[in-house]
Amino acid sequence: MTNSRILASCVVLCVTAAPMALAQHGLEGGTPMTFFVTSESISDGGNLGGLAGADAHCQALAENVGVSDRTWQAYLSTQDRPGQPAVNARDRIGTGPWYNFEGVMIARDVAHLHGDTIELARMGNNLTKRTGLTDKGQIVPGLNDYKHPQDDVWEYVRTTPYSNRHEILTGSQLDGRAYPPGSDYTCDNWTSNRDPEPGQGQGGMGMGVPLGPDRPNAQIGFPDRNGGGDGSWNSSHGTRGCSNTALSMTHGVGKLYCFAID
Amino acid sequence: MRKMSLGIAISALISMPALNTAFAQGGGAMPDSEDIPSSLMTFFVTSEPIGDGGNLGGLAGADAHCQSLAAAVGAGEKTWRAYLSTQARPGQPAVNARDRIGDGPWFHSTARLLDYLQRRLNRPLIKSEIHGDTLDEARRGSNMSKEFALTEHGELVNGIDDPMPARHDLLTGSQPDGRAFTGSEDRTCNNWTSNDEGSVQVGHSDRIGNGNMSWNSSHATTGCSQTELVSWGGVGLFYCFATD
Repeated sequence: MTNSRILASCVVLCVTAAPMALAQHGLEGGTPMTFFVTSESISDGGNLGGLAGADAHCQALAENVGVSDRTWQAYLSTQDRPGQPAVNARDRIGTGPWYNFEGVMIARDVAHLHGDTIELARMGNNLTKRTGLTDKGQIVPGLNDYKHPQDDVWEYVRTTPYSNRHEILTGSQLDGRAYPPGSDYTCDNWTSNRDPEPGQGQGGMGMGVPLGPDRPNAQIGFPDRNGGGDGSWNSSHGTRGCSNTALSMTHGVGKLYCFAID
Repeated sequence: MRKMSLGIAISALISMPALNTAFAQGGGAMPDSEDIPSSLMTFFVTSEPIGDGGNLGGLAGADAHCQSLAAAVGAGEKTWRAYLSTQARPGQPAVNARDRIGDGPWFHSTARLLDYLQRRLNRPLIKSEIHGDTLDEARRGSNMSKEFALTEHGELVNGIDDPMPARHDLLTGSQPDGRAFTGSEDRTCNNWTSNDEGSVQVGHSDRIGNGNMSWNSSHATTGCSQTELVSWGGVGLFYCFATD
């Protein structure tokens, strides 16, 4: 498909052109970056070291490209546990507006980002494949980019940076809030790289497969808005488990959305 | 042609997924996907415009264009309707695009029965999902995407970042919920009869542009001539849906 080739080649170009783009990004007068998709993953499946570990990852990637004067937080929810109230991703990201690497606005505010009214929701926000850029200005490879029979195998995706990896961990519902306690949607609040035991079922692709208690799972969304039959940016479907291997089976590598909150 | 029997089989499969297995085990008569060129197609983007700006010859002219393009690829036995609204005029009540297109679900032109049987088929378009009838549906979006919104030939429609000119402005004359505009301001090129004065509401088939993702109601144009449509990023294409 022509489009895939163009986008795919753009991925390669964006990677090689990163230093130049970085220089442009730093130009005085540009709109500073306050949103990105992580270019690198923590790479321990759903174990991010909790919210603190994920936030530190966002902060480190931002500082690596010279954006060190802001506080960065990962767009992640955690579920209610005894003594630990739930945390909603939408409450962790400041008030916006948020701009990507190129200074393009992703959303005006929390309500625009999440479509809090039906009118807003129908129009959507401005997070698309071409705006959902990483901290280095790269497009995140998505559906139809460099299709390969192995592109759902961890060892392949780990070593092939341009293969489909568009599933972003959120652990959140469509409105950006945490799921109620019970079934796992957050890889045990981002501390687990465990996979389901045999017989626990592997589904969670929005096909009605019950998650069941203690079945390791993370809810994901797509920056390219293309997958899972809906293309929700923050809450499309679940994963096969919480290991690197399980995340890669549905084209994820454990990437995160990061927002500057100040 | 096997179209009739396939149609029945597909209807049953859609409503009763359990039949999936029964059908697959029903003997050695599994058809090859190559034998079924477009048997599932109930949705496409016109590969070519009528070419006279916003003058489509009214709804009737637009429907005829859908029907003609469909017939050219062997899908003329279905009843095709253009996804267009018209605005209320004295003696003419408004027509809502969403009310013209049947009930769905709708499959695009590369859908194959074999893919459906093997559960490899893209999720079809669901009426309430594409219009976001509930808040959750509106937030979640639908399977309408650049890769789904193919022409009747199964080709992608050029959009943002493709070679110019972009063809992604699709005429709808509709609000995001699929209904006609109620004000006096023209959003339908005078109910699809003007190629000069007026304005038309368009959506983006690639769901990119103007800071929103709307496939059916992203922005209005500043005129109805073919040149004016081109200047905004379209050529006068529209969506066609089969009502049966």
